[in-house]
Amino acid sequence: MATVNRDNVEEVKTDDGSPKIKPRPIVRLGIFLIAHSPIFSVVFSAAGVLALLLLPLLAKNTYISENALMPGSARSMLSNQDVSDGSKLVNDIKNCRLNHEGQGVEVQKLIGKYMSDMGAEVSYQKFHPEGNQFHPLHFFSGPDSYTLLENVSCASYGVNVAGIIRAPRGDGKESIVLVTPYDFINGGDYESLSLGIVSSLFSLLSRVTWLSKDIIWLVADSRYGDYRPVAAWLNEYHSPSFKVSELLKCDELNTADNFRRAGTMAAALVLKVDGRSERFEDTLSIYAEASNGQMPNLDLINVVNYLAVHRQGFYVKVEKVVSLLSSSWLKIFGEIFEAVGKLAHTLNPDWNFGIPAADYLEGSATLASSLYSQALGIPTGPHGAFRDYQVDAITLKVSPRFPPDSKTRQHDFFLRGARLLEGTIRSVNNLLEKFHQSFFLYMLTSPSKFISVGVYMIAFALLVAPLPMVAASLYIDGCKALTNSTHNSAGNFKSWKWLDAAKQVFALHLLGFIVTLLPYFICQVPGQHSPRNRSIMWGTTSSSLLLITFVTIPGCSLFSSRPHGTNWAVLKSVTIAAAFIGLCLMSIINFATAEIGALLLVPTCLMAQPIKPALRSRRVKSLLGAFCSLVLVTIGFPVIFFAISKGLLGEGLGGLSLGGEFWIWLESLWAWKSATYLYIGMVHLPCWLLCLCILFHPS
Amino acid sequence: MKEEKKDDGVMAEEKPYMFWIWTLASTIFRLFLIFSPENINLSSRPEVSTPHTSLRRLAEGYWLKQSSLSPYAGSMYHGSPLLLSILGPLTVQRIEGQSSHHLCSLVFVIADLLSALLLRAIGQKLQKSYRMNLRPLGVLRSSQDRGILPCGDIAALVYLWNPFTILSCVGLSTSPIENLAVIVSLYGAVTRRVPLAAFGLIMATHLSLYSAPLVFPLIFLLGYGLDAPPIKKFLQTRHGGVETGSTSDVSKQEKLTPTTQLPFSWRTVLHFVFWVLVWSSYVLVLCSLSLKQYGGLEEMFKRTYGFILRIEDLSPNIGVFWYFFAEAFEFSRNYLLIIFNLYILLTSIPSLMFRLKHRPCFLAFAYLAFTSILKSYPSVGDAALYLSLWALFVNELTDMEYSFFIFCGYIGFSLLSPVMHNFWIWRGTGNANFYFGNAMGYACFQFMFVEKSVNAMLNHDQALKKATAEMTKNLAITVIF
Repeated sequence: MATVNRDNVEEVKTDDGSPKIKPRPIVRLGIFLIAHSPIFSVVFSAAGVLALLLLPLLAKNTYISENALMPGSARSMLSNQDVSDGSKLVNDIKNCRLNHEGQGVEVQKLIGKYMSDMGAEVSYQKFHPEGNQFHPLHFFSGPDSYTLLENVSCASYGVNVAGIIRAPRGDGKESIVLVTPYDFINGGDYESLSLGIVSSLFSLLSRVTWLSKDIIWLVADSRYGDYRPVAAWLNEYHSPSFKVSELLKCDELNTADNFRRAGTMAAALVLKVDGRSERFEDTLSIYAEASNGQMPNLDLINVVNYLAVHRQGFYVKVEKVVSLLSSSWLKIFGEIFEAVGKLAHTLNPDWNFGIPAADYLEGSATLASSLYSQALGIPTGPHGAFRDYQVDAITLKVSPRFPPDSKTRQHDFFLRGARLLEGTIRSVNNLLEKFHQSFFLYMLTSPSKFISVGVYMIAFALLVAPLPMVAASLYIDGCKALTNSTHNSAGNFKSWKWLDAAKQVFALHLLGFIVTLLPYFICQVPGQHSPRNRSIMWGTTSSSLLLITFVTIPGCSLFSSRPHGTNWAVLKSVTIAAAFIGLCLMSIINFATAEIGALLLVPTCLMAQPIKPALRSRRVKSLLGAFCSLVLVTIGFPVIFFAISKGLLGEGLGGLSLGGEFWIWLESLWAWKSATYLYIGMVHLPCWLLCLCILFHPS
Repeated sequence: MKEEKKDDGVMAEEKPYMFWIWTLASTIFRLFLIFSPENINLSSRPEVSTPHTSLRRLAEGYWLKQSSLSPYAGSMYHGSPLLLSILGPLTVQRIEGQSSHHLCSLVFVIADLLSALLLRAIGQKLQKSYRMNLRPLGVLRSSQDRGILPCGDIAALVYLWNPFTILSCVGLSTSPIENLAVIVSLYGAVTRRVPLAAFGLIMATHLSLYSAPLVFPLIFLLGYGLDAPPIKKFLQTRHGGVETGSTSDVSKQEKLTPTTQLPFSWRTVLHFVFWVLVWSSYVLVLCSLSLKQYGGLEEMFKRTYGFILRIEDLSPNIGVFWYFFAEAFEFSRNYLLIIFNLYILLTSIPSLMFRLKHRPCFLAFAYLAFTSILKSYPSVGDAALYLSLWALFVNELTDMEYSFFIFCGYIGFSLLSPVMHNFWIWRGTGNANFYFGNAMGYACFQFMFVEKSVNAMLNHDQALKKATAEMTKNLAITVIF
């Protein structure tokens, strides 16, 4: 084994004849980087931020990767008859709702009747809108088994309608799902248009001979939100419960034993129609982000985008942060990049990476929105429920350019909407296997431009690259300092000096873990409490736990005056190593969270230094450094960062209402099982506390 | 985290009751995890329970046997028939209101506790011999024994508080029992209870084939005695030992044996071999009785050892073989099987055996670590065993290089493994390569860990040699004047 080490080095004779060991180039490079870590960390971090700003420039055009899809190659078979069927349904629903004033399940029955007239198998499903429950240990374990509540009342429940067309060429093992969320009680006129579109399509699909996958049309009862009914239906579809639900007895509609299934789902499309389009054309917005920043296969978006733009003439857009479009600093960046691109083009006509500043702005605003919704980890629509079952799904939100009561326009709108869906279904119908060809990890900068994982990871890698370098250099420094300062038994432990620091880091991470789990117990506290009170409870328990940690674990105390505790350099080195591991892990789970977290955490960790010596020295440079690290640490505290980001969005908050807002925000994160919450509690918070420890280190 | 608890060991040195407090705390922690209402479903994690150690498979085998079928029918169970007879009835018993398997979990907790106590006893012996060896060498001139860590306490606490051990104990895998068998054999050899050592070895080999190479360290332990610096250094210091007037057993022994070779007690080894034969025939008879109707011993060998060696189950685990054999062509499978199995045997055993002849316990650690990297169905339980054996040598390994780096690597890869598995199985956005890449990285870090440990041990011996040479020189000078 000892010889292995020898292999790594080549022996070189020096002038005095003694063999000097010369390490390999890669080792020398490592040593060089570690030796000059301050310069390199600045360079790498700046490069990381720059690479993030450059991302809209590096976006590629989307292309359809799976050949079998062949979008738009077949002629649409949708006839006027089908469309008038759809219009008739919309009218009937309108009348029915006028007659029954939002009571009972008449509308559902009406839709069911239409479906069965078209030759579909119809099933109704009752579900209970479940409250938000925090399961701390259910984060990564696939979809929850939907626990039936013991005492369900008939006061609040919803009824989904699902119709299934059996494919003439299929074997019933695969299906495509169409979802139209519809509020049966107070749905608007626009909402019922989506039922019209899908009904037109359904009437066509019941006749065609080319179907090889069953078609499921789910009319989700969206009076308790879009997501919940779809999730309840999917749960029943995949993991049936054999308990007889109390909901069955609630009205005359018998839903027992009639749930229908149709094999694994190849894809799902959620269609929504809302308000009038502001543009001249009909607008189609695509929503793709599911929980924890998961995206559907890019091919699905490509197919829809291709058909909508090139066949049906929709204006397609994806969500963007509108406020960024008018930001001046981003505009300046865009102009600089444009100028550089032009310059490069004059130097070499093959270099075509420059894009106009307006495109750059547009791309960055879309990218920012994509990053934001992925980082939150909250799905942007009912399609998120499908992703939990590994089904690729997107939400299509169509905004027509006409008022809802215009009959002639409506016909044309139905025709185009249904043709778009028909083309998409036809493409998916061609697939022999699941979507796998194209990307799963990407971010959109426009409906037809994307950044793949290989590109955006570079920005992150550059940003976190300083962490291991600085950790190594600090570790070496700290060990030297420890060897100089102590001559007793510690000299025995040449390579284990980091143990004390590791103990401290471990203790604070354990604390972070407990603090993360605390809301679970606070939610169990009997009685009604406002979010503000709950957040106060949480804050006080956490800070008292923190105090206990500081008192009981030696080395951990913030303000102890013991001069020979753990060396702060070693502590910082271990902290940075822990932050590095946490960030890298998070970048794999949810890239966007890790990127935003790294933007906050990396500078804080790198800048953190004891402020006492800085204050004592009274030099401008060190005072400035101390001030910077103090500011960074202040911003890094999750609540303050939350307040700042709220303030940037134009909602002023302060004092105790902030706590309540923060609690509500966190509650939404638990409800969607967002890993961002775990990141904040178990990586960000402990590292932030450790930075605080370093700042106030008594050295 | 394993290293965290090392410091608790240091605390234990100051206050002896601290050890018992931490032991009790670890037991309570385990019980809490076992009886906690939140079911984290550890037993289905590929890192915790392998096809060879899964208790769910054992319960299945027991059920088959109860219905008069061969327990090995249907490729579910691949463990020992004796384990089936002991643990099987417990898998169907229920404490009222609780789910089954709780009794088995209690057995595993007891096994862990026993292992820890035996490790502590081994450590105390090793510590004593370490002190004995250093004193005549003149390294510990102050002789207050400051700086010698209570390696037994540390190893026991590392074993009890290692997250890997806790996972495999709570996660319904039979590896705590396998680990106990290995530790019993070492304990028997260290305390020179030959029948116990033989029993431990036979049981460990019976439960998992990969413990078989432990026979070499055990023979060395019984033949040469406990870990000591290599022989040459002893010879050089014989005078030193006499002159400093040490009355320790070791120096007495040296005076009595003026040969140039380390004494090898053939009698004990023969005794050991005899007991190995006795126990193995006993175990075989029991097994054949238990499997009389179901194909007898041949079936057992085929379904247990054959299953291990032929790598039949290709479900993912943290090892590196499943991926190779899932990808390998059928016609090259036998060739690759021979290559891979021989690789474990030929690369590690002879070379380590010659280098570490004088340190049999450390040799046992190196073997266990090596096999846990390259065995066909590794789990975190194997890592738990070798990490705690490693902690027995904290005194010798103080200068280990890259300790922090390796520690971070272990933490990083063990956290990454479930994430990659989730990516592959649940999200569907990753594939098997992600998980396998993680397994490769983990294996690399384990290799590095073993390599650096062995290196540090050899360097330690070198340093001792240098110190001795200097001391003899000084002595010679004093004699001349």
